[in-house]
Amino acid sequence: MKGSTHRIIRLAAESTRFTCLCMALGIALTSIAGCKATPAPAPAPSATTKPVVATFKVDPATAGSVSGTILYKGKKPAAKLVDMSEDPACVQAHSGKAYDESLVVGSKGTLGNAFIYVKSGLEGKTFAIPTTPVTIDQGGCWFRPRVLGIQTNQTLQVTNSDPVTHNIHPMAQINREWNHSQGPGDAPLNRKFQKQEIMVKVKCNIHSWMHAYIGVVDSPYFAVSKDDGSFEIPNLPPGTYTLAVWQENLGTQQQQITIAPHTRTATDFTFKGN
Amino acid sequence: MGVSRQRTNSTPCRILVCCVMLTVLVDVAGCKRFVSDTPIGKTITIPVPLGLPPVPFPADNPPTAETIALGRKLFYDPKLSQDNSTACATCHNPTLDFTDALSISRGVRGMAGIRNAPTVVNSAYLPLQFWDGRALSLEEQAASPIANPVEMNQTHEVSVSKLGADPAYGLMFNKAFGSNVIIIGRIQKALASFERTLLSGNSAFDRYQFGGDKQALTPAQVRGLALFLSPSKGNCAACHIVNSRYALFTDGKFHNLGQGVGDDGGFKDVGRFHQTNNAADQGAFKTPTLRNVAKTAPYMHDGSLKTLSEVVDFYAGGGNSNPQLDKEIRAIQLNGRERSDLVEFLQSLTGEMPGNVGPP
Repeated sequence: MKGSTHRIIRLAAESTRFTCLCMALGIALTSIAGCKATPAPAPAPSATTKPVVATFKVDPATAGSVSGTILYKGKKPAAKLVDMSEDPACVQAHSGKAYDESLVVGSKGTLGNAFIYVKSGLEGKTFAIPTTPVTIDQGGCWFRPRVLGIQTNQTLQVTNSDPVTHNIHPMAQINREWNHSQGPGDAPLNRKFQKQEIMVKVKCNIHSWMHAYIGVVDSPYFAVSKDDGSFEIPNLPPGTYTLAVWQENLGTQQQQITIAPHTRTATDFTFKGN
Repeated sequence: MGVSRQRTNSTPCRILVCCVMLTVLVDVAGCKRFVSDTPIGKTITIPVPLGLPPVPFPADNPPTAETIALGRKLFYDPKLSQDNSTACATCHNPTLDFTDALSISRGVRGMAGIRNAPTVVNSAYLPLQFWDGRALSLEEQAASPIANPVEMNQTHEVSVSKLGADPAYGLMFNKAFGSNVIIIGRIQKALASFERTLLSGNSAFDRYQFGGDKQALTPAQVRGLALFLSPSKGNCAACHIVNSRYALFTDGKFHNLGQGVGDDGGFKDVGRFHQTNNAADQGAFKTPTLRNVAKTAPYMHDGSLKTLSEVVDFYAGGGNSNPQLDKEIRAIQLNGRERSDLVEFLQSLTGEMPGNVGPP
């Protein structure tokens, strides 16, 4: 009994000694850590060095716009049938004949699917990235739309509404080139392009006739001409710009334009055919 | 007082006591553990159908009639699962060519796994088991799903004790291993031996390719075979190997096809990388056999492709680009007829299964 009491006391003493030792060690460690921590108030500078670039705000009171029509002079190209017969599922999915759309001239000599963008005059300005995605669908074994514009770092949403598998392949040269398989009913893909690139040619790795073009622009000032050749680029700050147009078969053209405060500037482009 | 002082201060004495105790413990454990898991029966030759090589087996587990019969009973026994609901055969169902027809397998209480159940058919020939090759043998593989929390979710100790309560097992373990003691090692070996009998061969393809029957394949299948073998066309045989005397339709290796790559370029399931930590193995999974493939939908490690047509289209398009894409994967120029010929050819790989592999 006496012995066991002694043992308990002894154990208590040992544990007290141990606790003391631990505390001492703990204090020592804390002070070392403390010493090390004091000279470097760490996270603050990294937060300030992060590139926070203010996005450019357009003043609605002075903003103007440019609009016009893309025209074609020359012999109207004959409609060319696209042969999908090697994949009967595509023939069925397309429902109706498919025609080549690389150069479609309207009844009044107008050109749709031309890509128009502000090529220069916006240097030094950074624009907010739209939160809504731009979509491209693979439907009827066809890319819809064929020509589209997107801002750098804006989401491109790729969907497949076909009963067959597609493999979309943006053959980017400035951005990263990639391809991705999408089966029937697969979830949409969400991808981004980080750099301006006019134009990213897109193909389907499975269906050789499927083509699309994506204009990646680091400002919101771009448009695709409608079937009647018309386009409009709104909300431009007053200034002098180079406006450029691209057409997949006919190449590019550009013009100087000046946007006066709160005015609509008209500019047409005319491509000459053979 | 004196005693306590002696005990607390005499370190050599304390070590001695520990040593004695340890020795006793080791002896007890040693006695209990020394149960041979070597089969005692006569080694048999597993009959091999046309198109397959002889069945390899490890030196310490030659197939015997008794271990195979025991393995068959175990394979179909849900007692190996926590709630007696799930057997090996639940995910490797003989009526579904030893798969479960699900994208992702489900274990006890509907617990979802992360991968598609591969067929056990012809797994005897694979150098590594599981999609990521983490098991070096069928024996090693067999122990894993039993204890896996999202599969059968039962410790090996519990499995051993549950089987021990069934006298029929005592008899079978005795016949197979020489005593009625049940240990996990014996369970593993019996399961592996049974699985070595799950062979599929003598398909239309085998009769055409190895049996000299030139009528065995349809014209579309013959065209599909040529595409399958041609490095400049389908290039399928680069990984799904066809030898001069037999065909396993797998190289047993790991390849990245881009399947499962996310919008951020990363892999949610890193596959072989789990085992090797080698960056090049990110998103790489084992080449599955194509034997009976027409009956083992859905496809790929995540069961994401529903039909053979989708699989062929996936390859025709060059898979999904990513930094670790296998060098054999590229967009291949196959027209619609060629792709459908390949699908037709894959239909010819459905072979005959032995009659004695269903539930005992």
